[in-house]
Amino acid sequence: MIHIQNRELVVPGQLIAEGGYSIREGAFREGDKFYASVVGLADLHGQDIRIIPLQGRYIPKRGDAVIGVVIDTHHSGWILDLNSPYVGNLFVSDLLHRKVDLLTEDIDQYLSMGDVVIAEVKDVNELMRVQLEAGEVGMGRVTGGKMVELVPTKIPRVIGKKGSMIATIQNASGCRIKAGQNGRIMIWGKDPRMVNAVVEALLMIEREAHTSGLTDRVRLMLEKVKSEGGT
Amino acid sequence: MYEIVSSVKRDYIVDLARQKKRIDARTLDQYRQASIETGLVKPAQGSALVKLGSTQVLVGVKIERAEPFPDTPNSGVLMVNAELVPLASPTFEPGRPDENAIELARVVDRGIRESEAIDLEKLAITPGEEVWAIFVDIHVLDHDGNLIDASALAAIAALWRMKTDEVKDWVLPEFPISKKPITVTIAKINGELMVDPCLDEENVMDARITITTTEDGSICAMQKGGIGQFTPEELEAAYELAHSRAVELRKHIG
Amino acid sequence: MEKPEKLIIDGRRLDGRLPDEMRPLKIQAGVLKRADGSAYVELGENKVLAAVYGPREMHPRHLQQPDTAVLRCRYNMAPFSVEDRKRPGPDRRSVEISKVSREAIEPVVFLELYPRSAIDVFIEILQANAGTRTTGITAASVALADAGVPMRDLISAVAVGKVDGTVVLDLNKMEDNWGTSDMPIALMPRKKLITLLQMDGNFTPEEFKQALALGFRGCEQIYEAQKQALREKYSIKSEGE
Repeated sequence: MIHIQNRELVVPGQLIAEGGYSIREGAFREGDKFYASVVGLADLHGQDIRIIPLQGRYIPKRGDAVIGVVIDTHHSGWILDLNSPYVGNLFVSDLLHRKVDLLTEDIDQYLSMGDVVIAEVKDVNELMRVQLEAGEVGMGRVTGGKMVELVPTKIPRVIGKKGSMIATIQNASGCRIKAGQNGRIMIWGKDPRMVNAVVEALLMIEREAHTSGLTDRVRLMLEKVKSEGGT
Repeated sequence: MYEIVSSVKRDYIVDLARQKKRIDARTLDQYRQASIETGLVKPAQGSALVKLGSTQVLVGVKIERAEPFPDTPNSGVLMVNAELVPLASPTFEPGRPDENAIELARVVDRGIRESEAIDLEKLAITPGEEVWAIFVDIHVLDHDGNLIDASALAAIAALWRMKTDEVKDWVLPEFPISKKPITVTIAKINGELMVDPCLDEENVMDARITITTTEDGSICAMQKGGIGQFTPEELEAAYELAHSRAVELRKHIG
Repeated sequence: MEKPEKLIIDGRRLDGRLPDEMRPLKIQAGVLKRADGSAYVELGENKVLAAVYGPREMHPRHLQQPDTAVLRCRYNMAPFSVEDRKRPGPDRRSVEISKVSREAIEPVVFLELYPRSAIDVFIEILQANAGTRTTGITAASVALADAGVPMRDLISAVAVGKVDGTVVLDLNKMEDNWGTSDMPIALMPRKKLITLLQMDGNFTPEEFKQALALGFRGCEQIYEAQKQALREKYSIKSEGE
């Protein structure tokens, strides 16, 4: 039996359910009792228990799109900060998609300290060593634009079902956006007012992620700023 | 531990500066929202919590009996110490004060001491043997840039609200403070001068200049920080900024 | 200061409390910008700030654990937090308190979820009036939850003692100075397991049982306040409309 309501705010140690359930996220089991392990919102579907954490650091997993910052180089590649307890390793060959003669080429010309990189998590092993891939179209070094950092657990809402929210933001603002699962978002746009409006929209989503009608409110807010623009 | 500044953020701030704009939409001469709360810490004779934007600094001032310094036997003692406790920033590590903590304490000290805000001569108990020591302890709680101004403001606010009634054998009618030195820090980014750098601006700035002025506009302390450089014209402009901002900030002390 | 002749007069303590009453308690979650999680707690005249950074990269590297996070805890008193100014920096007392605080909190944290990382807990005492270590643990627990660190339960802590032969809950400074026993405890409230226990002074076995039971009741009250503080911080965010 379930001891809480759907969408209820729970705290660590709170009893959620008893019986034959399975845990998707944010909970643990003692005997046949299930408890929340984080502060979060209960998202209960059938036999699945999921507590959506309202805070928490990003833990890399395979297939995630991430936005990293170069913090170190080594002889065959770079180390990227991922806004996570774990850094990512990017080999030169995973950036350039070709063999590189490390004896003759200076890899510094491709990426240097502080550079922002759009990448994908290629692999994470049991020791939490993260390998990145950044050679596909749409990946690699970022120039220009504005970067925003949100709580990583809110990124799915920024993207929306099948990308619906991110499409709404792009269409209503005329800006281009790329969101990383690690909480970092890049915004590019010609009009700085619209770029700032997008930042406001993202902060609104972070605050109101679990309310309904959010996509419409975001669209209206951005359209209002655009119409007041005069350009 | 390091602070990573992405090239994207750096370029963004530097580009905004060229347009005389800032990352949080302030003007170049604008301080973040400031608030001061005094008297929060009872064991301290004076205390103040300053919030400057998201930066938070708590200063406690305690009075104790001490031996005077040998070269000033009739003078009270002023000691300023700063703790950059690890909870205030991911870049602060536990341990003895590092060069940043020491610089911070000494800059705040200079502002108070050189302005002669406190009449240390009034703080002798038995000249040559025992004097009052004023301990100003700066405890940084949340670092979002410009710890110097926040700490200096908290220190002078606390000193203007000293409660001496419970200090044993205190004979002076009131705490001997007569001036309000105000410290203003100005960052230089891409050739532009801007006051009260927030954390992002501090991480990107070429250099900073801190100027402490008293009510009549005279300068009692200055400190240049960072490896960038200033021209004499820039310093003159910085002084004008510092003096006018100090007049505004001084109002917070009441 | 002189020792008061009596610490309990007509069944009431010098500050008017009954033996089983706690001092006023206030808890706020999420009060700092930089830290991943934070909490501010006032218990009587105690003012305590706790913050959590983590999980984050563990430095120095050679201390990393391959299969678990390392929990580190630092208890520190501000120089102005006590009557006689305390010289900044760790002393033997704060080193001991840091250790027992860490051992009080560690059992509930799912450290195994974050191999090779560090979870850093910092406790700053801004104003002290007896019971700072238990207030610190209470605050640290809320700060961990605020940071999104997964835990089996919160940890609630309080001190019990004995004054004028009576077992009392939540000693204030006078009672701590002039009483006969001081026993800080911390609990995993859900399972009623004790994670911190220290004691100095004098208890008969019977008094110890009484004190422990009283401590459990105090911790229950603290537990409710901790949960409430977390709900308050996050419910504004979750309602939104």
